[in-house]
Amino acid sequence: MLLPVFTLKLRHKISPRMVAIGRYDGTHPCLAAATQAGKVFIHNPHTRSQHFSASRVFQSPLESDVSLLNINQAVSCLTAGVLNPELGYDALLVGTQTNLLAYDVYNNSDLFYREVADGANAIVLGTLGDISSPLAIIGGNCALQGFDHEGNDLFWTVTGDNVHSLALCDFDGDGKKELLVGSEDFDIRVFKEDEIVAEMTETEIITSLCPMYGSRFGYALSNGTVGVYDKTARYWRIKSKNHAMSIHAFDLNSDGVCELITGWSNGKVDARSDRTGEVIFKDNFSSAIAGVLEGDYRMDGHTQLICCAVDGEIRGYLPGTAEMRGNLMDTSVEQDLIRELSQKKQNLLLELRNYEENAKAELSSPQSEADGPRGIIPANTKLHTALSVNLGHETQAAHAELCISTSNDTIIRAVLIFAEGIFLGESHVVHPSIHNLSSSIRIPITPPKDVPVDLHLKTFVGYRSSTQFHVFELTRQLPRFSMYALTSPDPAREPLSYVNFVIAERAQRVVIWLNQNFLLPEDTNIQNAPFQVCFTSLRNGGQLYIKIKLSGEITVNTDDIDLAGDIIQSMASFFAIEDLQVEADFPVYFEELRKVLVKVDEYHSVHQKLSAEMADNSNLIRSLLVRAEDARLMRDMKTMKNRYMELYDLNKDLLNGYKIRCNNHTELLGNLKAVNQAIQRAGRLRVGKPKNQVITACRDAIRSNNINTLFRIMRVGTASS
Amino acid sequence: MDLNLNRADYLQVGVTSPKTMKLLPASRHRATQKVVIGDHDGVVMCFGMKKGEAVAVFKTLPGQKISRLELGGVLNTPQEKIFIAAGSEIRGFTKRGKQFLSFETNLTESIKAMHISGSDLFLSASYIYNHYCDCKDQHYYLSGDKINDVICLPVERLPRITPVLACQDRVLRVLQGSDVMYETEVPGPPTVLALYNGNGGDSGEDLLYGTSDGKLGLIQITTSKPIHKWETRNEKRRGGILCVDSFDIVGDGVKDLLVGRDDGMVEVYSFDNANEPVLRFDQMLSESITSIQGGCIGKDGYDEIVVSTYSGWVTGLTTEPIHKESGPGEELKINQEMQNKISSLRSELEHLQYKVLQEREKYQQSSQSSKAKSAVPSFSVNDKFTLSKDDASYSLILEVQTAIDNVLIQSDVPIDLLDVDKNSAVVSFSSCDSESNDNFLLATYRCQANTTRLELKIRSIEGQYGTLQAYVTPRIQPKTCQALQYLIKPLSLHQRTHFIDHDRPMNTLTLTGQFSFAEVHSWVVFCLPEVPEKPPAGECVTFYFQNTFLDTQLESTYRKGEGVFKSDNISTISILKDVLSKEATKRKINLNISYEINEVSVKHTLKLIHPKLEYQLLLAKKVQLIDALKELQVHEGNTNFLIPEYRCILEEADHLQEEYKKQPAHLERLYGMITDLFIDKFKFKGTNVKTKVPLLLEILDSYDQNALIAFFDAA
Repeated sequence: MLLPVFTLKLRHKISPRMVAIGRYDGTHPCLAAATQAGKVFIHNPHTRSQHFSASRVFQSPLESDVSLLNINQAVSCLTAGVLNPELGYDALLVGTQTNLLAYDVYNNSDLFYREVADGANAIVLGTLGDISSPLAIIGGNCALQGFDHEGNDLFWTVTGDNVHSLALCDFDGDGKKELLVGSEDFDIRVFKEDEIVAEMTETEIITSLCPMYGSRFGYALSNGTVGVYDKTARYWRIKSKNHAMSIHAFDLNSDGVCELITGWSNGKVDARSDRTGEVIFKDNFSSAIAGVLEGDYRMDGHTQLICCAVDGEIRGYLPGTAEMRGNLMDTSVEQDLIRELSQKKQNLLLELRNYEENAKAELSSPQSEADGPRGIIPANTKLHTALSVNLGHETQAAHAELCISTSNDTIIRAVLIFAEGIFLGESHVVHPSIHNLSSSIRIPITPPKDVPVDLHLKTFVGYRSSTQFHVFELTRQLPRFSMYALTSPDPAREPLSYVNFVIAERAQRVVIWLNQNFLLPEDTNIQNAPFQVCFTSLRNGGQLYIKIKLSGEITVNTDDIDLAGDIIQSMASFFAIEDLQVEADFPVYFEELRKVLVKVDEYHSVHQKLSAEMADNSNLIRSLLVRAEDARLMRDMKTMKNRYMELYDLNKDLLNGYKIRCNNHTELLGNLKAVNQAIQRAGRLRVGKPKNQVITACRDAIRSNNINTLFRIMRVGTASS
Repeated sequence: MDLNLNRADYLQVGVTSPKTMKLLPASRHRATQKVVIGDHDGVVMCFGMKKGEAVAVFKTLPGQKISRLELGGVLNTPQEKIFIAAGSEIRGFTKRGKQFLSFETNLTESIKAMHISGSDLFLSASYIYNHYCDCKDQHYYLSGDKINDVICLPVERLPRITPVLACQDRVLRVLQGSDVMYETEVPGPPTVLALYNGNGGDSGEDLLYGTSDGKLGLIQITTSKPIHKWETRNEKRRGGILCVDSFDIVGDGVKDLLVGRDDGMVEVYSFDNANEPVLRFDQMLSESITSIQGGCIGKDGYDEIVVSTYSGWVTGLTTEPIHKESGPGEELKINQEMQNKISSLRSELEHLQYKVLQEREKYQQSSQSSKAKSAVPSFSVNDKFTLSKDDASYSLILEVQTAIDNVLIQSDVPIDLLDVDKNSAVVSFSSCDSESNDNFLLATYRCQANTTRLELKIRSIEGQYGTLQAYVTPRIQPKTCQALQYLIKPLSLHQRTHFIDHDRPMNTLTLTGQFSFAEVHSWVVFCLPEVPEKPPAGECVTFYFQNTFLDTQLESTYRKGEGVFKSDNISTISILKDVLSKEATKRKINLNISYEINEVSVKHTLKLIHPKLEYQLLLAKKVQLIDALKELQVHEGNTNFLIPEYRCILEEADHLQEEYKKQPAHLERLYGMITDLFIDKFKFKGTNVKTKVPLLLEILDSYDQNALIAFFDAA
């Protein structure tokens, strides 16, 4: 049984995921964490005498060994580590929705203080790829930015959606670190500097990532899933009803391999084997876990696993010793094994008994309705499933439809569909009322995104009067583009927007791709190239044309730039295309983007104007205050009153101004996100090198504020014509 | 002294009922004892432990499900004869397994509880109690509600035979011959009875009881009246009590109380100077504890608590330390024993797996033929659906002998599913289709591996009634699922009680018409929980109920052709009126419904609600302040500048937050009930005041008792 080697109870709350350990003076490890009211506290148990005393930092009134750092803004991320290798001690980095502060705790000075328009939702510190100096990489609104110790912006790229988690990991085993980015669109993207080398789609927002060792890394989702990836392949995952607050890799059983340590929202901490996900250790806190870290907090040369709870409780664990033989829990391994084997035996015996009883029942009376309640059904009962597209009618919108039917007079009591990402929860249930029971059921499915989904079906089959049902379990795959119905072409409605590219594939192969990714009616017969197919989106009625010429040139017409990107990415992976240059034009979308860009400029100028006004006002306040105080000293109460009235009015103006600034800022953020997404989308229309070229070129165009070049890049893929 | 017990699993048999495992008396002091256990397959097994392995002494052939197992024998000699109750039959075995008795009682119901004392045999089926002496019928009693357990005070110590019945309607019935001597109410439905200290204590009259809502109590059954000695309150909301035993596990010369609960909790209580129980030890096992006894099995000289669980595990919690203090050679030997056990299990498994594979293939083949049928025997589900008084919500407990894969919960009435901390299953709420499929709730619970027990909490709304269905699918091939149904009754939050306050202002609802006693009883059963299915004996019957949420009461008295319902809560009367008239119309019975409304009762009910509402409002307000106050505390460093009220909030912060978390949506529920009260008050006057409800909610938002009463009067 592994017990904590130390337990601390701080009287400050710890904000989830915002806690870090650093040696801010080069020797003593201190714990820094964000707490309430826009403050960061630093717990320094080692040097009691030394007090930081300056403007930013002050002694905590609650505890002697805690100092508080005033940020005056809600902290959104925090980390500590070596930012400047020459300094020899760690810097503290604190991100908020608008700024990033690199702070030198020891000297009580700012290393840099940078405004970051895209906000900082997540932060990671370390070296990336070939960039020599350590970077503080922050992830915000669709954007990633990396700063060196002087605050120089050495790394900048965009990603698909708001970033929620970051990690550095040697993903491809070349000895250099790649950046893992988990974002709101459920994707984990791997950046080799600014090139995306891999993308894994998960089922929920990725809230945490952590490198394990080699190319292995752990991840956690907002729906309570944690798991481990090795490169692009998922090793294992488990799902809990609680949320994983923090994950960390630590070798707790001293076997030389890191375990995945998870801190949960219900106060549980568990350590799971990296290979199987089996729990090897667990402990409980009284409140949610805020962070899991490691550090030599006792300064005795041994690294401890340190778990921090939201209510300020901190426990440190030393890795298990060799004598414990990896046995960290209080039950013996043998007992557990015996229990498990006995359970297995019991299950097998039960199964055997099931077959015996079944054989007995078979010998007895012939099939009759009286068998209903006991759930006896003909042994040759089969379940048919079919996926099709339903164009809908007045009362029901168009949808993809799953039809399940039995092969005889048995009825379907209920259908459970377990699938991730397409329902509200992880499952969807169809349970007809007792009057509407029949042997077939039609289930409408409307996946919100174009992703292929595995539908795990559990169908309860029996008779009307049954209290026991047979459960038929099967899995069907819903193709990626199931929400598009094949329709006859209508040239008048052909979308103006298009992408155009050439692939060296036979038309038959394209037909196979179509069959795999769309729900085509069974009688569809596509002749040889050249041909064209037309689909209608069930979501918004938009048209999609796919035309293939003899030369292998493919044109995809659609007004939906995301759809075009999805189709290209899907084809690329199907035909194993490494690089694909594309010519594209989306006039409507580009026009919108142009407007957004104009708006961004406007908001920027408004922002500057407002800031200037605020500065003016603050000068005015100062003078008013001085004059009011003067009046008070002169005992000129009337003037003083007037001054304070003026001050009050000014204060009201300032408050109003603040509100305007806030609104302006949210609008700006929204628009910046749109711009970042546009670049990302333009990238998704290409594959491989052209993709990275487009993103880099777009970024340069935006920096130089050259809108026309930007659109040219988006159209043809390069800046030079 | 710290009590440190280590778990050791001995053996697994079939599914067991409560009180079906006993330890045979040891031949000498602290020698190892043999275990006898009876399961649902009807097998009685007696085994002892030899070198860490279970060695069977005897094992009978399968038969009917065994519902009780007791030890008996000639009084004042070792009690080592084994008696089992299966169906309506009692069988007796010697400790060597030789059957010496087979007694067919000819009871129409199967036996639920049994107690044996010398040649006296006390049996109870669902409602019937029988006393036999030397297998000859002596006494008989028909109980008003289900009998859960039966016991007799020790005849060797008292000059009389005093059987006691534990009945579902929260009453212990003390009998003399065929008649009730007296009844005594206990705080919950009693499920188990045991003699204090195993012999009835100093007086020989002390009786322990355990209730299905997890309370324990000690009562002295004197010849004239009961004396309540103590009772525990179950503040930790642990499961219902299934078995108790007295045994000195601590080793201080005083017998401790061993308790097994239906949520898998094993507890040891010792007694303090005032003879009140103090919890000394608890350990959570994963499934219901069906029997518990103290003794010595694994190794002589080491006392242990032996328990059997629902799925048939016999487990010991032993004082024998895991890590031996003796030489290293010993350790090796123990390991060797374990290894042998594991390897023998492994080979057994391999053999079984092969057999199962063959059978599976056969089963698959049968699906090709058109004549064959697929009949999978039902698995047993241990379920419990009870109203818990503390938070006026239902708890549904499902337990299966193997791991559960998933559970589908479907309801055709609006109910809320609440989160239970204990269960680890991933819940997912499905959208309920718009078509008229009568679904108000569809939720799936996907269980983690090795979950055999699932606990759910359900909050119902009075007046909305229907059925809750649970489809349980265990992880076993071929996959089947079982549908279980639970009724949500119209007055779902009411609970049976035996005493009500007759001074309250009451509203009356009177039914008259051409209906039989059985019919009116069936309506009461339909409307209210905890009423026995069977019409009680007699011409006229009265039941009392209490609303667990508001503490209002209901008195129902009915006979053939007439039913009278009295309640101080006008909403209760309104719900009854609606449901009864609907039911009568459905059965085409002509009913005359008349009611008498007492205006004062509304004010009375509002006054009853007032302290609850005020408390909740204050609590909500305080909880809201906590975060802000804490921030101030961090900023200022001390709390001296705060007014005492705020300082108090800070000091109690944790407690307040816990309290607040315990009763989610309590305020909304109270608001809902006040609104119902308002609407119902005027419904009886024939006016529809639905339009005024927003006004009422406004008043509730800035709550003041007088303003509310004035609004009720004025509208």
